[in-house]
Amino acid sequence: MTSRIARAVARSRLAKKAPPVRYFQRDERGLPIPHIDILVRNTHQCRLQEHYHDTLRDDLMYLTYVHESKARPPPRQIRLTYDPEDPYSKHRKNLPVGGSQVGKKPSPPTTASNVVQLEKICLHSMQKGALANRSNLLGTLMAFRALTGETEGGGGWRSSGGVEIVRGRKNVSGWVRPGIPIGVKVELKGEKMYEFLGSLVQFVLPRLRDFEGVVLPPASANMNTPSGVSGVVTMGLPPEALGFFPQIEVNQDAYPRLYGMHIHFVTNAEGVGAQDKARALLSGFQLPFCRR
Amino acid sequence: MSASVFVKRCQVGRHEQRLGQNFARSLATHAPQKPRLAVAVVLNRAPIIAKTPTKFERAFYKYQARIQRALHNPFPYDFYFKPGSILEQQFNKEERIRERKAFGKDFVTEESSSSIEVERTDEDEVPAPRRTSADETKDVKDLNRQGSRNLYLLVRDSTNGKDEWRFPKGNVESGELLHEAARKQLTVQCGDNMNTWIVGRRPIGFFEEQSGISTDPLLTEKTFFLKGHIFAGQAQTQDSISDFAWLTKQEIESRVPKDYWLGTKDMLSDL
Repeated sequence: MTSRIARAVARSRLAKKAPPVRYFQRDERGLPIPHIDILVRNTHQCRLQEHYHDTLRDDLMYLTYVHESKARPPPRQIRLTYDPEDPYSKHRKNLPVGGSQVGKKPSPPTTASNVVQLEKICLHSMQKGALANRSNLLGTLMAFRALTGETEGGGGWRSSGGVEIVRGRKNVSGWVRPGIPIGVKVELKGEKMYEFLGSLVQFVLPRLRDFEGVVLPPASANMNTPSGVSGVVTMGLPPEALGFFPQIEVNQDAYPRLYGMHIHFVTNAEGVGAQDKARALLSGFQLPFCRR
Repeated sequence: MSASVFVKRCQVGRHEQRLGQNFARSLATHAPQKPRLAVAVVLNRAPIIAKTPTKFERAFYKYQARIQRALHNPFPYDFYFKPGSILEQQFNKEERIRERKAFGKDFVTEESSSSIEVERTDEDEVPAPRRTSADETKDVKDLNRQGSRNLYLLVRDSTNGKDEWRFPKGNVESGELLHEAARKQLTVQCGDNMNTWIVGRRPIGFFEEQSGISTDPLLTEKTFFLKGHIFAGQAQTQDSISDFAWLTKQEIESRVPKDYWLGTKDMLSDL
């Protein structure tokens, strides 16, 4: 009995063919193409990211903590819910009572997992000269590439958009037409985002003349606005600031001129007080703020 | 005294009597004991150098750097250097060394046999060592020890016949805010030779214990902890504290009493 099974097993083994060897496909230069998509991940320690996780995160949690002793009550239903069958409300708009609720969006309850953190930095620059001649955009494009080191699909990451060209959308007579290139933009995330932030606060801002800090709105300003609840801090850099970035400084004469830019620091903060949380985070990275 | 206040006091006295049957004798006029309120400061020296990467992390970074070197876009030499300039030659030399380091001797073919010498300029600074002299001598009072870890200030309390290690602590007077009391008591206990910042106004922890006063052993003491950072300066020994030390979380455990450790350990960073 056992010998019969053993023979059957041996036969089946013999009958089974060895799996085919998967050779690498070769590209046109004869170099092997790997079976998997190769992704470039972090190539070194990120100092500012470590600083965030070791020091800033704890402090920001203590600073932005809002104590809530019990669960929040459900939102008050001021107006009757929309009934499409009701002949009165059938063809009417169901506007919210008390105006737009965008700026009154409540912030989520404070937990250890939703401490404010930096998600991405967006840079963009609009060049008026590009309207007359689109080649005027080339200098900005090259400067942004040198500044950020981003390329489309760089390091095998499909999510990496690289330095993109912004095209006009509207037709404003004598100024912009749909489809013509008028500016460049780039999104930075992860390691490169922290590197850019580091070089901005260490090399550029201290050398800027007459720069006291990102100007805050007056203390009496209404923060119940879409930007007040969005957690995005925005600042602008004058053209001379571009020359202070070490990436541009090495061969500044290769650029036809210097370009200003807008910088948006996008954080995960949302709801009422999000703007303040985002500012607290950025001042932890030594970005100065001042009030006039 | 108005009638209502008098009635209330009597009620309180009776309540106290009922409670007192089990514990200790108390008079009908004995007012209920309010717990003592204290504030302590968890004074932190944040990491001053980056974490030392593990062997695995170093290997990972090296591998990723090699992949990046192999896949990066071609470098625009013409854009960065004038053709044939000294700077370009210098860059090429250094680049060849880096290539050889990443991919081995066989990869770099041209001029690999010639002696590649890159002159060290004054700008090439030698980094400071990660371990300082304070690490070698195990000097717990030095703020330069354990650069990649969080350090916390502990003081040796020798008042009321005690001799134990704890965080700097002091009483809160009535009407005083916690964060103001924290700032004041830190100066009282550890001197004014420190540049510190108390993080926010909210306490980060709470600890309750029997106050060690011999006249009133049942009196409890409630301590609220606030976090602080030190930026410059150093603590000083005063008459209330006989010693101080800057310690990591693991070093604190062996010095403080067991219940104090269990009540405070979650406020401290593991790193």
